[in-house]
Amino acid sequence: MKNDPVSDPKSAVSSVHDMRYMTVILTILLAGLFFVSLMVGRLDIGWKEIRTFVCASLFGTPVAPELSSKALVFTLIRFPRCLLAVFVGMGLSISGAVYQGLFRNPLVSPDILGVSAGCTFGAALGLILPGNSFMIVRILSFAFGLTAVCLAVGIARMIAVRPILVLVLAGLVATSVFSALLMVLKYMADPYNDLPAIVFWIMGSLNRVEWNDLYIIMPVVGAGLFLIHVLRYRLNVLSLGDLQARSLGMNPTLYRVIFIMISSLMVAVTVSTCGQVCWIGLVIPHIARTLVGPNHSNMIPVTMLLGGIFLLAADMLARSITAAELPVSIITALTGAPLFVYLLYKNRGSGWI
Amino acid sequence: MTLECRSVSFSYNGRNVLKNISFQVGKGIFCAILGRNGSGKTTLLHCLNGILKPAGGHILVDGLDLGRMPQTQIARHVSMVPQEHTDIFPFSVIDFVVMGRTPFLKMTRSPGPTEYRMALDALKTLNADYLARRNYNQISGGERQIALLARALLQSSSTILLDEPTNHLDFKNQYRMLSRMKGLCRDHNTRIIASMHDPNLAMMFSDQVVMLKHGRIIAQGKTDAVMTGASVGELYDTSTQKMGLQNSVNIFLPADIVRENTVSKNKDCCREPNR
Repeated sequence: MKNDPVSDPKSAVSSVHDMRYMTVILTILLAGLFFVSLMVGRLDIGWKEIRTFVCASLFGTPVAPELSSKALVFTLIRFPRCLLAVFVGMGLSISGAVYQGLFRNPLVSPDILGVSAGCTFGAALGLILPGNSFMIVRILSFAFGLTAVCLAVGIARMIAVRPILVLVLAGLVATSVFSALLMVLKYMADPYNDLPAIVFWIMGSLNRVEWNDLYIIMPVVGAGLFLIHVLRYRLNVLSLGDLQARSLGMNPTLYRVIFIMISSLMVAVTVSTCGQVCWIGLVIPHIARTLVGPNHSNMIPVTMLLGGIFLLAADMLARSITAAELPVSIITALTGAPLFVYLLYKNRGSGWI
Repeated sequence: MTLECRSVSFSYNGRNVLKNISFQVGKGIFCAILGRNGSGKTTLLHCLNGILKPAGGHILVDGLDLGRMPQTQIARHVSMVPQEHTDIFPFSVIDFVVMGRTPFLKMTRSPGPTEYRMALDALKTLNADYLARRNYNQISGGERQIALLARALLQSSSTILLDEPTNHLDFKNQYRMLSRMKGLCRDHNTRIIASMHDPNLAMMFSDQVVMLKHGRIIAQGKTDAVMTGASVGELYDTSTQKMGLQNSVNIFLPADIVRENTVSKNKDCCREPNR
């Protein structure tokens, strides 16, 4: 009985803080994978070449003329794309974790408030409009993503009973409204040019990345991740429900608004850049919870790192599995769905489904 | 040092739930709030906790006016064991108990080793440190109540409010829970205010009683003085008899109903030998 970890209270205190080794392992894994994924792709780039390119862009050292096209591919496509994968993976998985904590619902993901549907509709609208500028696509996508959140939150506030359930239902309403509007656009779109563009947008992919996207994504997602990381313990208390949160001295409404704003903003920014990358927001938090338990103090950093690793790996597969590149969302769905079933099976009976 | 209600009133959707409630509870006192369902017990506890703001009157805790304090400040002085048992994430019990430190943590801080040590001490105080690593969703109802009590103790050992703490507990766990609460009053000078359903348990464990009927106080004061057959009978609208057992233990029985049923039982017993 003495050595039983469940009943030994000493290990109860220490083990909570022993989760740090997990963060260290995952950080190393992420860094390693990032380096490997820089080399993987249609164009072979070795690690020596990477060193040359990095030196070249940092210190302006000259690049041999026969390498100049590779250097362009590396600095303009490969490197920003890997960076994007990490940020998008982290942002989506953390928003999923936040929504699941806030709504005390394991089946919730960033799509729940209609964010993804709104963003997709906005993007499609931008693609149909004359002019075909990607900036317009991005702005519209972002604007409609936020509109969808405001719509959902507005409906929930108007009804004002059983807020947790009603917000989820209101999200469903927003989602279906924007999906229907998207349908209208698809129906009206020119089937030779616009329709394929819309369809490809909806299949999330990282291949459209430019440095300009990263200049928006990095600060927004970076700041969001930082804020959520800093406030993460409050998710534990919020998940007990409003009554207990208030008796523990917190203002649950205020924190709910803060968390929803931050995570919706992160989702809107990522979807407006690379379309819908599904399953990450749902599956990654579950993996993290299985690895280190539901305490958000440990679980949020692990979710963040796993999200980065997962999308980076999925994008690597998408780039190399077939001669023509696959949209990364196909990979995430094909791997995420069975993984989710496995996690549901493994965590059955823990009182949390 | 007292907790004092001064003519507190509260109305909900135009219905007066609490009317002119005034009472005082000193340190180290176990005060039971008795009343039928819907008499305003839970509302009163929520007012004492700052979750509901009274429409009139004042609540003073050790001289501080709750109406003028932010919720975080209130939470440092008054803690609460709620009645609801919603299923939550499968937190370990220690992760759950440590949340009692929330009102003392800065917005951006997570509980560290110090807080976890304090949580473990709170569990030890209640002889429940064996629960620390267990999954909160998988322990029994009685153990959950003990975990909630430990969280409340960690949050504020000066005043703890409990909303029907023995609800859903089995015979033994009811007494165990109440004796732990009583122990806190005795050893930690904790003031406990608990809404209770069973006048017999209140009689046995409480020092002071507040009787609520339709949002009004019909009797209050020292348990032995206030709890008579007549007052309990009036509270529950049924004629009640107070009976003395051994060791100066008293129990209340709803006289009419008991008589009816014991008579019929005696008949059955008498019939037996005649067969």
